[in-house]
Amino acid sequence: MSALPRRIIKETQRLMQEPVPGISAVPDESNARYFHVIVTGPEDSPFEGGLFKLELFLPEDYPMSAPKVRFITKIYHPNIDRLGRICLDILKDKWSPALQIRTVLLSIQALLSAPNPDDPLANDVAELWKVNEVEAIRNAKEWTRKYAMEN
Amino acid sequence: MDFVSTGGGSLVDNIFLLFNAYDWWVYYSKKEEKNLAKKEREEKMYDQAFEEILFSLDETPIYADSGGDQHNDGRDTNEFGADFETLQGLECLNMEQAKNLLNEHVDQLSSKLHISPSLAKLFLHLNEWNVSAIVTAYSKHTNAFLVDNRVKLAATAALGASAIPSAAACTDILPLSPSSSTSKSSTNASSPISCPVCTHPLPGDHFRSLTCGHSFCQYCWARHFEVQINQGITLDISCMASQCNILVPEALILTLLRPSLHEKYEAFAFRDFVSTHPSLRFCPGPNCSVVMRARESKPKRATCNACGTSFCFQCGIEYHAPTDCVVIKKWLTKCADDSETANYISAHTKDCPKCHICIEKNGGCNHMQCYHCKHEFCWMCLGDWKQHGSEYYECSRYKENPNIGRESAHAQAREALKKYLHYYERWENHAKSLKLESALVDKIKSRIHSKVMTSSGTWIDWQYLIEASTLLAKCRYTLQYTYPYAYYMQSSVSHYYTVISHIIPTGTWIDWQYLIEASTLLAKCRYTLQYTYPYAYYMQSSVSHYYTVISHIIQQYTYPYAYYMESSVSHSRKELFEYQQAQLEAEIENLSWKVERAETTDRGDLENQMDIAEKRRITLLKDFHLSSFSNPTKLDIPPQGGTTVPISTKDSSTASIQSEGEGVRSASMAPLSS
Repeated sequence: MSALPRRIIKETQRLMQEPVPGISAVPDESNARYFHVIVTGPEDSPFEGGLFKLELFLPEDYPMSAPKVRFITKIYHPNIDRLGRICLDILKDKWSPALQIRTVLLSIQALLSAPNPDDPLANDVAELWKVNEVEAIRNAKEWTRKYAMEN
Repeated sequence: MDFVSTGGGSLVDNIFLLFNAYDWWVYYSKKEEKNLAKKEREEKMYDQAFEEILFSLDETPIYADSGGDQHNDGRDTNEFGADFETLQGLECLNMEQAKNLLNEHVDQLSSKLHISPSLAKLFLHLNEWNVSAIVTAYSKHTNAFLVDNRVKLAATAALGASAIPSAAACTDILPLSPSSSTSKSSTNASSPISCPVCTHPLPGDHFRSLTCGHSFCQYCWARHFEVQINQGITLDISCMASQCNILVPEALILTLLRPSLHEKYEAFAFRDFVSTHPSLRFCPGPNCSVVMRARESKPKRATCNACGTSFCFQCGIEYHAPTDCVVIKKWLTKCADDSETANYISAHTKDCPKCHICIEKNGGCNHMQCYHCKHEFCWMCLGDWKQHGSEYYECSRYKENPNIGRESAHAQAREALKKYLHYYERWENHAKSLKLESALVDKIKSRIHSKVMTSSGTWIDWQYLIEASTLLAKCRYTLQYTYPYAYYMQSSVSHYYTVISHIIPTGTWIDWQYLIEASTLLAKCRYTLQYTYPYAYYMQSSVSHYYTVISHIIQQYTYPYAYYMESSVSHSRKELFEYQQAQLEAEIENLSWKVERAETTDRGDLENQMDIAEKRRITLLKDFHLSSFSNPTKLDIPPQGGTTVPISTKDSSTASIQSEGEGVRSASMAPLSS
C-alpha cells in the first residue's frame, strides 16, 4: 500500500488531539487505515452506560469512497442488524468526500440517540419498535447490560 | 385463480409427478361440470390441442385438402402482416451515427438556449431528449428549471440569477469559466488554500467549484470522477460537498479527468445517453454495437441489419407477439425454473419501479435507491419513498397473515403446476421445432445447390424433371412411411436429404425457391405460436383488461350472448383465443409436414397451405396482439369463435374446419382410453 495520504494523517492527528466526547477512535498498530472505535451509549437513551465497540476501515479510495463501519458489540437497534451493519445514508449513497471519520462517528452516536424505525435494517427490531416501543426499549436496555457492560 | 408463482418453491419438488394429457382433460372437465354446454365446447377445443400428439400417430395431414381456391390473396395478408408486426421507420445506426444524432440534439439545444454543449447534454439526458420541452420549460421558469435539473441550488438561484434570466446569466452558471470558478480565490490567489478533501494547501487557481460554490482542488475532483466512473456513474456525478446534489457537467469532467479514462467515460456516457433517449435502443445481439432508432417505442419487431438479431423494440427481449412485454418477462423468468435461480430471483430481487432493472437486496434497509436510475423507493411496497414517510408501517405489516388454509394452497399449487406444464410442454416443443427448422432451410439450400450442380449445366430442364418426378413418386411412397418417425429424428432426416439429392437431380434454383419461402413462413408462424402460450397462461390474471375490451364490444354490438355470459366474459375471450391457437397449431403441423417432404416443383398445394397458416396467424395477432396497442373501440372482435376467422369466408372451408374438429375429437379417444 502506498504512503498514507495527508488527509488520513491529519484526521488521525485531530482525533487524537481533540477527541469527540463519548467517542474514541484509535488506529491499529499495524494498519493505519483500520480504527478501533468505542462509542459510549448516549445519555437518556436505552444504550446509556454501554460501551459499544466498532471497527472502521478506510478503503483505498477514501475519502472518495465512504469508510466501512460495523458494530462489533451486539446491539438491539432498528437500524443495526445482527452482523453489526449500520443503515446510515452517509455511509452509502449520501457519502461525500467532504465528510470525515469524526462526522461519521458523530452520526452513529446520534443514531443511537434517535433510532429511526421508518428506515429499518433489522426488520423484527423495527417492527417491535413501532408496535411496542416500551418493550423494544426494554430489550435494548437488556442487550446493553448484557453485551455492552461486561468488563 | 391466480397461478402466478405462489408457492413456487414447493412446486419444483412436485415436477416429477407425472402429468399426462388425460389428467389434464379430467381436471378441466371436472372444473366445468356445472356447465354442460361449456364442457362440450371445451372438450372439443382441448381435443384439438392434442393434435400435436396425435399427429405422430396419424400420418395423414389433417388439413390437406381444404380450400385450394384461396391462394390468390396471399400477398395482401403477408404485406399486412409485415405492416403491423414490424416496427416502421426503423434505422440501424452504428456508434458514429448514433453519436452524431445525439450531437445534433445537443447542438440544437445549445444554440437555442445559448448554453454550452456540456450543459445542453445534461438537460437532454434529464429530460428524455425533448428539445422543445426543455426550451419551453427553460424560457418559462428558468430558475425553477435549473434547480430541477440540479444545475443550481434552490437558495442561490433565488439570490444569484435575480430577475432577468438571460443568456449572460446562463454562461454565468457554467462552472468551467475560470473567472466563476475562482471568484472566491481571486482575492487571495497568492496565499495557498487548504482543500477540504485532501487537506493539501494549494494556490487558488488549482481550485474549481460548481454553481453551488463548493470549492475543491482539481486533483480531488479528478479522483472523485475516477471513483464514480469506475462504478459506472457518468452523468449523475455530483458535487463533492455533503448533501449537495449539483451535477457536474461533462466539460469539467473531461478537463480534469486523466486522459486514460476519457474513453471509458465517453463509452459509459454514451450508453446512458442512449438509454434515456426514447427512440434509441442498443441492439441486444451479442457483441453488436448497433443502435436502433425508431419513430415510436412500441412492442413491435425490430431487426438489426448488422447481426440479424430480432427483438421487441420496447423491452429488448425476443419478439413475443401476442404476449406483451410484462407478461413475457414473467414467463421467461418462470421458465428458468429448472434451477433454483428463478426461485432465488423471485425471493430476493425486485424490479426497480421506475427503470425496471432487477435489484437484489443483499442487506441494508428498506429505503432503496436504484443504482441505475437513482429512483428512491420502499423495498416493501415499491412506492416512491418521498410520499412514504408515515405510511411505511403498513408495508411491513402486510407480510404477517398469508396463512389461510395450507392444504387448499397446496392443492392449488398442484393444479397450477399442471396448468403450467401443459403450456410449457407446448412452448418448449415449439422452441425445439424452430431450431430444427432453421437447420432445415440450410439443408434445402444445399439440396437445391447440389441439384443444380448435377443438372448437367442446363438451368431449366423440365424434361428431366418429369423423369425425376416419376422416380420421386416412387421414392416418396417408400419414404412416406418412414417420415412420421424421421420427423423427430434429425440425423436420419438429414441422411435422407443427402441420399435424395444424389439420386434426383431436378429443377432449377428458382423452381426450388418456394421451399425456402415456405420454411421461412413456417418459422414465422411457429414463432408466433410459441408466444401464444405465455399469453394464454396469464390470460386469466388479466381478466380486467379483457373485460374492458369486451365491454366496448357489448356496447357496440349489444350482443345477446354477452348478457348471460356476463360473469364469464373473459372466459369466452379465452375460448376464442384457444380456438384460434388450436387452429394455428393444426395449420403449422400441416405446413411443416409439407415443407419437409416437398420433393417436386409443384408449388400449388404448398402455397395454399402457406396461405392458410399465415391467415390463421394474422387473425390471431390481429385479435389478440393488435388490441394491446390500438384503441379498443376501433377493434372489431366478434366475441365468438368460428365466426371470426376471416379465412372461413367460404362455406366450404368453414365446413372443413368443423369437420376436422370432429375428426380429431373422435381420433383422440383412442390414446385416452388405452
